[in-house]
Amino acid sequence: MSDSFSIKLNGQTVDAFTGETVFQVAARTEVEIPSLCHDDRLAPAGACRVCLVEVAGQRRLQPGCAWVVTPDMEIITESDRIAKHRKVLYNLYMADHELDDAGLPIETGNGNQLRELCKTVPAMNLEPVIAPRSGRPRDDNPYIQFDPELCILCARCTRYCDEVEAVNAITLSNRGGETTIETAGQRSLIDTTCELCGGCIDTCPTGALIEKKAPVNLVQLGGTEAVRSTCNFCGVGCQLDLHVQNDKLVKVTSPEPGETLNDGNLCVKGRFAYDFVHHPDRITQPLIRGEDGLLHRATWEEAIKATADGLMKVRDKHGPDSLGFVSSSRCTGEENYLMQKLSRAAFGTNNVHQCAAT
Amino acid sequence: MLKPTADRERIIELLEHEGGVTEASVRKVAAQTGVPEADIWGTGKFYTLINTPGTRVRVCDGLTCQMFGADELARQITESGKEVERVSCLGQCDLAVATLSEDMELVTYTKKETNISPASDDLAINLAGEVDLGYSALAKARLMGADAVIEQLKISGLQGRGGAGFPAHFKWTSLINQAETERYVVCNADEAEPGTFKDRETMLRQPHKMLEGLAIAAALIGTREIYIYIRGEYVNEVAALEVAIDEAKGQLEDFNVTIVRGHGAYICGEETALLESLEGKRGMPRLKPPFPTESGFRSKPTLIHNVETIACVPSIVHHGGQWFHDLGRTEAGSKLYCISGHVNQPGVYELPLGVTLDELVEQAGGYVGTPLAFSPGGASSGFLPISQRTLPLDYKSLAAAGSMMGSAGIVVLNDTVDMARAADWQLKFFERESCGQCAPCRIGTQFIRRQNEKYIQLGDPATFEHTEDVAWEMEEGSICGLGMIAAKPLTSAREHFPEHFKTR
Ligand SMILES: Cc1cc2nc3c(=O)[nH]c(=O)nc-3n(C[C@H](O)[C@H](O)[C@H](O)COP(=O)(O)O)c2cc1C
Ligand code: SF4
Ligand code: SF4
Ligand code: SF4
Ligand code: FES
Repeated sequence: MSDSFSIKLNGQTVDAFTGETVFQVAARTEVEIPSLCHDDRLAPAGACRVCLVEVAGQRRLQPGCAWVVTPDMEIITESDRIAKHRKVLYNLYMADHELDDAGLPIETGNGNQLRELCKTVPAMNLEPVIAPRSGRPRDDNPYIQFDPELCILCARCTRYCDEVEAVNAITLSNRGGETTIETAGQRSLIDTTCELCGGCIDTCPTGALIEKKAPVNLVQLGGTEAVRSTCNFCGVGCQLDLHVQNDKLVKVTSPEPGETLNDGNLCVKGRFAYDFVHHPDRITQPLIRGEDGLLHRATWEEAIKATADGLMKVRDKHGPDSLGFVSSSRCTGEENYLMQKLSRAAFGTNNVHQCAAT
Repeated sequence: MLKPTADRERIIELLEHEGGVTEASVRKVAAQTGVPEADIWGTGKFYTLINTPGTRVRVCDGLTCQMFGADELARQITESGKEVERVSCLGQCDLAVATLSEDMELVTYTKKETNISPASDDLAINLAGEVDLGYSALAKARLMGADAVIEQLKISGLQGRGGAGFPAHFKWTSLINQAETERYVVCNADEAEPGTFKDRETMLRQPHKMLEGLAIAAALIGTREIYIYIRGEYVNEVAALEVAIDEAKGQLEDFNVTIVRGHGAYICGEETALLESLEGKRGMPRLKPPFPTESGFRSKPTLIHNVETIACVPSIVHHGGQWFHDLGRTEAGSKLYCISGHVNQPGVYELPLGVTLDELVEQAGGYVGTPLAFSPGGASSGFLPISQRTLPLDYKSLAAAGSMMGSAGIVVLNDTVDMARAADWQLKFFERESCGQCAPCRIGTQFIRRQNEKYIQLGDPATFEHTEDVAWEMEEGSICGLGMIAAKPLTSAREHFPEHFKTR
């Protein structure tokens, strides 16, 4: 990607680099090209056909997500031909999708990009096709729901699972109108190599894959407030968007790909293990066990002092090597340094460890 | 993501060996090859010969077999207590109705013998001619060198016989100019276009012409590796090829010839789907560019030719490009025409490229009944009215008539046929064979077929309100040639036979 040259995009001269696709060039301009099957993290599939553009000299429309530009190429993204293409294509999708009373692809808790596209074209009200797509109704995994009626077969989920997660738990299966997303033997995701990372949900454009735990009507309820936070499970420090509704955490997603270091990805813990937040057993204040054997609320000063006193008592009675120090993998390098300093300098023992070191 | 040690290319064959796709077979093949289970499952489920374990009788539901009562035959076989699966064209249209027994043996009920043109030295393939085991064209080509042979190919005017009619010499030149030296030659013997059975006869009667052509190609582009991808239903043809490869062991010692069988997917005849299938994947066509000549099998430069195209090469090397060129009438060369349907002697006739339907049918013993329509080049070419009987059957003239030469699988329909029904049979084929990858084709084929079926049931042409727009989008928006032409049987039938689509 060294050589730069120019191309014409809707008549405007714009800069491009060797090997770039129409999408990559257009991303630096005001030109917007619709798409469904594209995700910057994945190799282009060119399967949804939503992004077709006109390329001068090409008889056929070509997918902007995959078409590689060359010097002086002329690309048109809006024309009567493209408008007709989008109208009939979106209407075909509607003939193969669950619709709401207004005749639009239904809204889901994660939105539905197909619905938004369909709002931009006149309805043809094509008679529905009855595609016999199978789902996995008996998949009892706790987190991920698949609804074949909302699936547009963009294969983002399977490509994500393959290209990003390198897990390959799900696959396109069957063919023609029966094409659907399956696991080997149609087993529950729990019984496959699936790591329940939920990245397939994240990339799904229609909500065909969705969080089982989140309320289904999030969008209708006016959406959620997203609070940016850092995952507290490990030291990687993935950024999270905590979706809060009525002071309750109802869903966790990653910020958009490209925005933070985790690039749109999370693991099963970050995405799904948030039940502790509102759990009644959750400890929200320091507690010290009293002479009566019961736990009593305390201030941080009291708690730290009680800890220090206890540790010193043990050292004085049994010697420094009776103590051991383990720091959390969430700690920074500086904090880990302080931990070993505490262990070696303050208490005089080399028994110090960090939980991510094994 | 595949481990570098995983052996994906073998999985389809191994699944077949295990009796088809089951949870257990998938687990075993995963253990044998290191390929993730889901990938094996999804791949196996694509192919109809292995996606459902167990044996059954397969009854063709292609156009010609349907015209000769395949539905009734299927009913009878079912009544006799056997399980029946209806399958896409078996490539035996001249012997209609065709079935495959539970042991995958070809069983036909009325005709057993194929008619072919008599032997003649003025035919490139010359199905009835003597079999030449000398491989002297290979020796001659090696002496001539690549540039000289390609020059003769250019003079010959040889066009791809697989359907697209692309001049052969361009592909050879492109291969030779690639920087990458790991290259492959692939023979497309997946012949599955309804109405087509010419490659079948070539492999049965002149397999050495094809093998010698492949050897010439491989020698000149500088590779040892030759792959022949042949449809799995062609059991006799696989056997014939195996015998031929054995007969020519000596002549082919510089080459590794590998036969790979397909497993029931018409789309694998599309060259990039074929490559995916060779690589052990679902047969979903790739985006082009890159073209196979640049990035084909294993992402390396690959020369892909249809059986008939490559089998013309030895004769061209022998007699020179001009000789081949002059065999044709309106376009270059002699051509294998398959003809079936309402004619007296269906078969494969090698005639000058550009003969008319009337001339072809004369070879085939004349029309049966009053001809009404014909499909000139497989299901993909749609239908033409019999008034076009004097049109040259060549690439240009048929394209100009809104149809195509395709695979030269010609089916004649007489006035006993209801064109809405005929369209229905063809539309079902495309609906079933769509790979399902792209929406215009996956949804469009279902929509179009359903609307036509509704018309047949209700007799109300209002069901066609949106079919032209949908057909337009299928042609504009689909990834590959299947989707682009899949509405053609209906649009062409409605255009040329409006009286068959009135209110009834
Ligand atoms: C849907 C579809 C099916 C095809 N099926 C076949 C086939 O069965 N056999 C074949 O030789 N070519 C078939 N082709 C054409 C191939 O893609 C390719 O053009 C051909 O193998 C190239 O060889 P040729 O240049 O010798 O014709 C098919 C194309 C499409 C779009
Ligand atoms: S949750 Fe993650 S590992 Fe499981 S199927 Fe989805 S992407 Fe693959
Ligand atoms: S489940 Fe979602 S991401 Fe997967 S193919 Fe269907 S629509 Fe695309
Ligand atoms: S046009 Fe049909 S067969 Fe071709 S890639 Fe698209 S879905 Fe597959
Ligand atoms: S975004 Fe290009 S085809 Fe889907």
